Amino acid sequence: MMAARTAPAAAPPGMVDPEEALLLAADAARLVLENGGETYRAEETAAAIATALGGAEAECFATTTAVILSFTGIDGRARSIVRRIKRRGMNLERLARLNSLSRDLATGAADFATAAASLDAIERLPTRRAPASLLGAAAGTGFFALLFGGELRDAAVAAVVGAAVSRIGPCLARRQLPDFVVNLVGGAAATLLCLAARSMGLASPTDAAIVGVIMILVPGVAVTNAIRDIVAGDLVAGVARAADAVMAAAAISLGTGGAWALWRLVAPGAP
Amino acid sequence: MGPLEPLWAALATAGFAVLFDLRGVDLVLAAAGGALGWASSAPLVAANVPRATALFAASAIIGVWAEALAAIRKRPATVYIVCAIIPLVPGGGMYRTMLEYIDGDSWGAFWTGLATLQDAGAIAAGLAVSGAASRLLSRRAPRGRPRGQPKGRSKGLTSPGRSPRSPRSRPG
Repeated sequence: MMAARTAPAAAPPGMVDPEEALLLAADAARLVLENGGETYRAEETAAAIATALGGAEAECFATTTAVILSFTGIDGRARSIVRRIKRRGMNLERLARLNSLSRDLATGAADFATAAASLDAIERLPTRRAPASLLGAAAGTGFFALLFGGELRDAAVAAVVGAAVSRIGPCLARRQLPDFVVNLVGGAAATLLCLAARSMGLASPTDAAIVGVIMILVPGVAVTNAIRDIVAGDLVAGVARAADAVMAAAAISLGTGGAWALWRLVAPGAP
Repeated sequence: MGPLEPLWAALATAGFAVLFDLRGVDLVLAAAGGALGWASSAPLVAANVPRATALFAASAIIGVWAEALAAIRKRPATVYIVCAIIPLVPGGGMYRTMLEYIDGDSWGAFWTGLATLQDAGAIAAGLAVSGAASRLLSRRAPRGRPRGQPKGRSKGLTSPGRSPRSPRSRPG
């Protein structure tokens, strides 16, 4: 008893202020969703953290765009919080760290103070610098062009165009433009640049280079994850994710189609 | 399947893993998963197995690989899955669907789109099967920490030795 009162930092997990615990759990769930985690993972993370921090009962409902967490503390009073998910990206390093954070809390390897500090660190974890992500985009698109039956020159074109297209997203997102516009411009730029390279004889007259570049825009993983959510029973989140993916595909096809039309107008005789 | 294709798949996967901010050993392991998936699906497709079946098998294999790595490296399986399925994911199908639609070939776009959706469904189903298998196995694992779902909810109410709640314990 004495020890618990004189050293609150080393208090048992049940001593954590319920409101603080609620905030920590909800923010962890928000970070899981913002960084590409599955819906059930966000819900389980929130519930596990809330319970580890002394919640008598915790229920979490997560969708693609929001987290709702209700938390009954040891005092028997229920509290709840809503967190909106505004941006959705993919950061696997953050996901992995969030996973160990909730496991450490559940096993007692971390207390509230450590967990709060490491959640802060996770949120502020820097993403890869521009050169590394340029290289990643170049490798992703270039080798996909090879995989889709392209020649080496197609791969080279795809790598260069892919690296360029990968910078469009961050540049437009900084100006608060919606994903729809980003995808539209990305699809158009990818198609125009590849067609230009093709007409100059830099790439073979197949679609390999274009398909390679489009791979970094097309929401293939998003569609698969949407179906995975639905299979896991998260129907609302799965349908929302599918809608997100369909909108992205529509934007890309608008961009691609516009670029094709423009190209046929400008260079009618080009291959 | 060309002899170098798994290598291209691995390198393409690695590129995406960099974009997804995966680091170090995990990046290499995820890239190996991408090669594994391609090496198991491409021969099946070449042997005229239906594409969805081949993708189902390949993604089930990727799922097993990812779950095993997750257990060893104490990371969520998703980290490896998201990267490794990228060579299988129907990006090319989506592109062809879009192109056919733009060209005014609505029926072609419809059928290609349906096949694309089927491919994505097959991948999700393969992953679901391996995920379910790993959950069944981990339940049986000796004294394994329960994953996510907390047990013993009323623990906080009854645990002894708790000092009485005082107004001072709530800052602000």
